Amino acid sequence: MPLQDLLGYLAQLLGGAAITVELAFSGYACALTVGTAWALLRRLDNPVGNAAWRAYASIFMGVPSVLVIFLFYYGGSAIIGGLVGIVGLRPRVDVSPFAAGLAALTVVQGAYSAEVISGAMRNVPRGQFEAARALGIRPYQVWWYVIMPQVARLALPGLTNIWVSVLKDTTLVALAGLNEIVARSRTAAGATKEPFLFFIAAALFFIVFSAATLKFSAGIERRLDRGIARPVSAGAEA
Amino acid sequence: MKFDPALALHSLPDMLHGLWATIALAASVVALGLLIAIPLAVARDSRHPVLAWSAAAYVIFFRGTPAMILLFFVYFGFGQVFGARDGFLGALFSNAFLCAVIGFTLNHSSYVTEIVRGGLLAVPKGLVEAAAALGIEPRDVFLRIRLPLAIRYGLKAYQNEVILFTKATAVVSVITVVDLTAVANNIFYDTYDPFTPLLTAAAFYWVLVNLLRIGLARVDAWLNAHLKADESRGQAIAVHSTARAPAPLAPLGEPAQ
Repeated sequence: MPLQDLLGYLAQLLGGAAITVELAFSGYACALTVGTAWALLRRLDNPVGNAAWRAYASIFMGVPSVLVIFLFYYGGSAIIGGLVGIVGLRPRVDVSPFAAGLAALTVVQGAYSAEVISGAMRNVPRGQFEAARALGIRPYQVWWYVIMPQVARLALPGLTNIWVSVLKDTTLVALAGLNEIVARSRTAAGATKEPFLFFIAAALFFIVFSAATLKFSAGIERRLDRGIARPVSAGAEA
Repeated sequence: MKFDPALALHSLPDMLHGLWATIALAASVVALGLLIAIPLAVARDSRHPVLAWSAAAYVIFFRGTPAMILLFFVYFGFGQVFGARDGFLGALFSNAFLCAVIGFTLNHSSYVTEIVRGGLLAVPKGLVEAAAALGIEPRDVFLRIRLPLAIRYGLKAYQNEVILFTKATAVVSVITVVDLTAVANNIFYDTYDPFTPLLTAAAFYWVLVNLLRIGLARVDAWLNAHLKADESRGQAIAVHSTARAPAPLAPLGEPAQ
């Protein structure tokens, strides 16, 4: 196989990596939004809301993401048709692999994010709420300026783990036909008979990209922790 | 959106066949993973730099790579090199199920290595020193004191990993293994019913995952019965509470927190 062809396939891989990154970022953003919404709902401690959360979490944490992707990919147009049909519209929609993958990542990782975020909300000391109220800060400002920054700090390690699993879960969307990096590495491996080269290249992309984002997340963590005085430890280890 | 009970009932034998493949795959990988992970966890903290670095490289590579790439790697990579040959390796790599076991074991064992290592690091130093002072042989200190405690500390994280991994086996159809998801997919292609086969398979997975969860929680409750009594008295147990938090993705090179 001439070198030029191999480089051509590696360029294809890079194009696939762009799709992977796009799906991972958009999936993560949507999952965080859904997770925050569930966490706030759980905060209300309403019996109906709690029951809805338990059902949602149990279902989407109890079945493989692949099945959810297939369900949205095969059944997506019927689901949308059914939902819009209530209003009386009858549109023909086709769901792309990317859209099905994005929706699946959002609902599945949204459940895991909600766990992390509501855990962080529980760990914000109650005195913070009381002090903010005593200072006469408006309720929404209490959340926006006082509580949420602390929730972000407490949730960051867990949310970083979720980011890594979102990144890896994007590969599953290849099963619905998304032509991302893993699908392209398989095509390249088949065409060139050089499986090790392309699969290792794809693997290295995931390792290097997640290492880079972990470094970035460590930077954010330092910034969010800047208000926290570190206790002087007398050589004690955690 | 319609669920067709007749189709679901009709597909039950096939589904159970797929479920069996999923369980056989997951059970083999869990057993092999634990077998590999314990020596690797010891090697990670070995004083021997070559040993420590190779174990670390193993963990970095196989934990950082999505399972699907590892499946391709084993099935199309090694399969192409050895698959056509006679003998043991040829038989091994031309069998998709065995390739799946190898691919998933590489991934799962690297996660378990970090869990076992986190557990081992959480065993209080004083215990090990006391055991050494009593003249217990290093091998027995490890097998009878450090390892049993490490297992207790790591069980919560291990439980999460086993469940996550069991769900991750659902991609195995990419290398032609017919598991529960593949059965549901085949029924979809036969009937074009987008909901019934997938929801039936999802129900099986849900039951499997919850049985696993309950079973492992029982093991945890049994092994950590002494902690439960302490927790009900409201005592904070610093070592245990930090070691047992789920940290399947703790950054490499740091103890699980």
